Amino acid sequence: MLRAFHPLLKLALCLAWIVASLAIFDLSFQIAVFAGATLLLALGARVPLRHLLLLMVPFALFGFGFLTTSLLFRAESGFAVQMAQEQGGAPDVAPGLVLFFRVLACGMTSAMFALTTDPGQFVRALMQHLRLPASVGFALMQAMHMVPDLRAEMLQLRMARAIRLGRPLRRVPAPGEVIALAIPLLAYAIRRASRAALSFEARGLGSHAERSYLPQARAGWADWAGLTLGLAVLAAALAIGRGPAG
Amino acid sequence: MPNPSVWTLRETLIVAALGAVFGVLYLGWVQVWLVLQAVFGPVSMDVVMGFWFIVSIIAAAIIRKPGVALVSEVMASALQVLLGSPAGLLLLLTGLVQGAGAEAVFAATRWRRYSLAVLMAAGMGAAVFSFVYTWIRFDYGSLAPGLLVTMFVLRLASGAILGGVLGHYIVKALYRTGVLSGLAIDRATRA
Amino acid sequence: MPDALSYDRVSLRHDAASVDAVGPISFNLRVGERVLLMGASGVGKSTLLHAATGLFPQSIPGDRRGAISLHGCPVESRTPADWADTCGYLFQDAGQTLAGFAVRDEIAFGPENLGVAAARLPEIVAKAMRRAGVPQTWADRRINMLSGGERQCVALAALLAQAAAITLADEPAASLAPEAARRMTARLLAPGRTAIVVEHKPGPILDHVDRCIALGRDGRVMVEGAPRDVMRRHGPMLAEAGIALPLATRLHAALPDLIDPRLPLREALIGVAPKARHRLQDALLPAPIRTGEVLATLDGAACAPPFGPVVLRDVSLTLHAGEVVAILGANGAGKSTLAACLAGLLPPRAGRRTGPAGAVAFQNPEAHFSRDSVRAELECTATAPDGVAQILNRWSLDRVADQHPFTLSQGQKRRLALALLAESDRWPLLILDEPTAGLDGASEAALAQRIRALAGEGRGIAVITHDMDFALSVAERAVLLHGGTVQFDGACRALMRDPARLAAAGLLPPEAAPVLDWLETAGC
Ligand SMILES: Nc1ncnc2c1ncn2[C@@H]1O[C@H](COP(=O)(O)OP(=O)(O)OP(=O)(O)O)[C@@H](O)[C@H]1O
Ligand SMILES: Nc1ncnc2c1ncn2[C@@H]1O[C@H](COP(=O)(O)OP(=O)(O)OP(=O)(O)O)[C@@H](O)[C@H]1O
Ligand SMILES: [Mg+2]
Ligand SMILES: [Mg+2]
Repeated sequence: MLRAFHPLLKLALCLAWIVASLAIFDLSFQIAVFAGATLLLALGARVPLRHLLLLMVPFALFGFGFLTTSLLFRAESGFAVQMAQEQGGAPDVAPGLVLFFRVLACGMTSAMFALTTDPGQFVRALMQHLRLPASVGFALMQAMHMVPDLRAEMLQLRMARAIRLGRPLRRVPAPGEVIALAIPLLAYAIRRASRAALSFEARGLGSHAERSYLPQARAGWADWAGLTLGLAVLAAALAIGRGPAG
Repeated sequence: MPNPSVWTLRETLIVAALGAVFGVLYLGWVQVWLVLQAVFGPVSMDVVMGFWFIVSIIAAAIIRKPGVALVSEVMASALQVLLGSPAGLLLLLTGLVQGAGAEAVFAATRWRRYSLAVLMAAGMGAAVFSFVYTWIRFDYGSLAPGLLVTMFVLRLASGAILGGVLGHYIVKALYRTGVLSGLAIDRATRA
Repeated sequence: MPDALSYDRVSLRHDAASVDAVGPISFNLRVGERVLLMGASGVGKSTLLHAATGLFPQSIPGDRRGAISLHGCPVESRTPADWADTCGYLFQDAGQTLAGFAVRDEIAFGPENLGVAAARLPEIVAKAMRRAGVPQTWADRRINMLSGGERQCVALAALLAQAAAITLADEPAASLAPEAARRMTARLLAPGRTAIVVEHKPGPILDHVDRCIALGRDGRVMVEGAPRDVMRRHGPMLAEAGIALPLATRLHAALPDLIDPRLPLREALIGVAPKARHRLQDALLPAPIRTGEVLATLDGAACAPPFGPVVLRDVSLTLHAGEVVAILGANGAGKSTLAACLAGLLPPRAGRRTGPAGAVAFQNPEAHFSRDSVRAELECTATAPDGVAQILNRWSLDRVADQHPFTLSQGQKRRLALALLAESDRWPLLILDEPTAGLDGASEAALAQRIRALAGEGRGIAVITHDMDFALSVAERAVLLHGGTVQFDGACRALMRDPARLAAAGLLPPEAAPVLDWLETAGC
C-alpha cells in the first residue's frame, strides 16, 4: 500500500514528519516517530525484519556519536540543551538520548520513502508535476538506478581482480582492497554515464519534438486521504505534546 | 559553436553519476568520522570535513563549467537524504553551502584554472563557507576562541588536503583510465 | 524516391587514432531493403553505423570525410537526437542500447521522446514487449538484474517501440539462444523493413536479407550482391577476409571432392561414399583427448547470481582435466550463474563445491580490463620477455597494442579478454562465457584450436555458448540447463542429434545435424 502511494504526496508527508522531528526536542515524540516509521516499513511495505535491523545500523551508529559526545565530552550538548530550552524548559533526559532517537526517527522516515518509492515513478512525477527538465530528470533516474548497481559492480571488479591475481575471492573485502577499487568504481560510474548519454541521444532525448510521458497513476482520493491522515496524526501528536508542557 | 557554459547531456549525466557515487562514499565516511569522534572528540569533525567537499572539486576539475561544483555537491547530499542519511533534510542545505564555497573559488578564476593550487583553494573555500554555516547552526560563539581558531585551521587544512590534494590525485587517476576522453579536462590536457 | 540511407565516399577516423577506422566507402540502403554488412573484426562496421545519424563524430569524438544522407537530407542538417524518429539503433552491446532503468521505463523512453500521445504509450509498451518475447512480468525489473540475452530482448522491445523507419542493428543475435535469435531475425528483417544488420555468422539470416555487403580488411567494400550468390562465388575471398561462412561452404573448402556447396547439406551428403566417413568426422568433430583426474565437482549445488535469488538447484557436475564441456541453455537458463559457481568465485547457496579455484572469462569482456593499454594488460600475463609480442600476434591484436582497452572494437575486446586468461598457466580450470560472441570467422576458428590445445595440456575447460556448431567443434561433452536444473549431461554429439530435447530447452539443432545423422548411418 505504501508502494502505491503517490510519490510526490508521500514525499510531502515524509518531509512534514522529518521537519517536525527536527523541530521538536522531545524524547517520546522521537521514539514515537521512529517506532511508527519502522512499523509502517515492516507491515505496510513488508520489509523483512533482518533487513530493517541492518538498515538501522548506520543510523544507530550516527546517533551513538551524539550520545557518547554528549555523555562523555559534554560538548555540543550546549547546543542541544539550548534547543531543548527553547522548547520549554530543560529536558529531563540526557539531550544526547533525544538526539540519538531523532537520528533514528529521521533516518527511518527517509528510509521509508526511499525503500517504497520506485525511482522511475518518482522522477517521472517530478518531471511532470514540477517541470523538471527531461535531461536532468533522466540523469537523476540514471543516478538513482546506479546506486544499487554499484554493489554488483564492486563484486564483479573483485572477481576480475581475484582472477587476475590468482587469489581466491574473500567473502568480505579487506579495507586495502576497497581502496584499490575506488578508482575503478568511479571510472565505472563515469563510463556508465557516458554510455547512457549516447543511448539517450540515439533514442531521441533532447530532440525538438514535444516530449510526452508514460501516464502515471494520478493522485486519487486514497492518496489525498493518506496525506490528510498522516498530517492529522502529526497534528494530534503535536497537540498532545504541547498539552502537558504548555 | 555550442555555448561553452551549457552542459551537454553527457556532462549532466556525469555530474549526476558522480553525485550518486560520492553520496554513497560520503555516507561511508560518516562512519569513519563517528569512530574518530568517539576517540578524539568533537574536533575530529573538522579534521575529516574536507572529504565531504571532494565531489565538487572532482566534478569541476573534470567538466570545467559554471555550476558543476555546486550541483554535484547538492546532488551528493540529496542522494544521501534519499538513501536515508542520519542527518536528514538539513543535509541539503549543508551541501548547498559547501558546494557554493568551492564554486565561489572556481568563479573567481572565471572557471578557467584547475591547477592543484586552485583545487586546494576550492577546498579551502568550501571549508570557510561550511565553517560559517556550522558557526550559525551550532552556535560556535559560545566556544573558547582558542578552540575556535584550532577548529578553523584544522578545517582549512582538511579542505585543502582531503578535498583539494586528494581530489587532484583522484582526477589524475581517473584520467589514466581513459573514461574522461572528450571531456574538458581531456581537451585541455591535449591542447 | 531517395535512398533511405546513403554513404558517399565516407572515411571515418577516431580522435587519437592515426589511421582511418574505415573507408573510403560508398553504398546505399534503399527503402524497404534489408542489407547484411559483413567484415572481419575491427574493420569499422560499428563505426560506420554510428556515423549514420551523426552520433559519430558529434558524440563519439572523431572526424568524418565524405557525405552521408538520410532520405536525401544531409545527416548534419539535424542533431542525432532528432534523427531518432527516422533511425533506430541496436548497438553491439545491449548495455549500450539501454540506459539501466527498469524495463518499462526503457521501452517507453523512445516513444516518449518522440512525443507519442501519452494515452497510447501503455499499449505501445505492452505490444513491444509481446513482440520481442519479453514477459510482461518483467516491467518493473531493472536492466542490470537481467542476463545478457534477456537484455538484448529488452533492447529489441525498446527498438520496436521507437518505431523508426530504418533499423541499424549491430550483431543483434550475438548473445541470443537460437530460438530467441530466430525471433529477433523475424522482427528486424521481416519483408518490407528497411535495415542494415551486421553479423559475423551470416548462416541463419541469409534468407532474410536482400543484399549483402562484405568489407575487406582495408575498410573498403570488397564484394556486394545477392547473399547466396556472394557466399557461393566468393567463398575463399570472404574466408580470407575473416568472414565466417555457412557450414556447407566450409566443408566444401576442406573436402572439395565430397561436398557440393550449392546443394543443401542433407542432399549434398546423399552421394557421399561411406568410406569417407572418417574424413568428414575429422573435419567436423574434435580429435579426442585423454581425460585425466577430477578437477572440480559440484555436489547438489544451488547457484544464485550475485545478490539474486537461487536460479539453479541441485546441480551435480564433475569436470576432469583435459576435458572440454559445453554448457548450453536458453537465455536466462543460468549459465553465467553456473560459471561463477563452478569456478569457485561465488560459493553455492546450498550443496558444496570441491577443487581448486578456476578462472572465468566473463560474458562482458570489459570486466577484465584494468590497465591503460592492451600491451599493459598483457604484460601482467606474459612470462617470457618476448611473450607479449607473441600473444599480440597470436590473437591478432598487434595493430591495436597501444590503444586503450575500452576503445577496442567488440571483437578485439573479446580477444583481449580471452588472451588474458588463456595465455596464463595459472588456472587449471577455465570457464569461457560466450567466447564467440563478437568474434569473426577467423578468430573463432583460432579460438577453437586454442581451446583444444589448452585441453591437451591438461586443463579442464567449460565453454558456454549459443552456437551449437561451435559447441560441437570443441566439446565432447555437453551440459544442458533448463528449468532451473541440469537437464542433460552427456555426449555433445548425442545431444545435437536430439531435436526434441533441444527444442524443449529453447535451442535448435546445429547446422551440422545432417552430417551427424549421416555419420551415424555410415556407422561412425
Ligand atoms: N575511440 C577509439 N579510439 C581509437 N580507435 C578506435 C576507437 N574506437 C574504435 N577504434 C578502432 O577503430 C576500428 C574499428 O572499430 P569498430 O568498432 O568499428 O570495428 P567493428 O568492425 O565493429 O569490429 P567488431 O566486429 O569487432 O565489432 C578498430 O580497429 C578499433 O580498435
Ligand atoms: N542480479 C540479479 N538479480 C536477480 N536475478 C538475476 C540477477 N542476475 C541474473 N538474474 C536472473 O537469473 C537468471 C539466470 O541468469 P544468467 O545470467 O545466469 O543467465 P544465462 O543463462 O547466462 O543467460 P544468457 O544466455 O542470456 O547470458 C535469469 O533469469 C536472470 O534474469
Ligand atoms: Mg563492432
Ligand atoms: Mg550469461
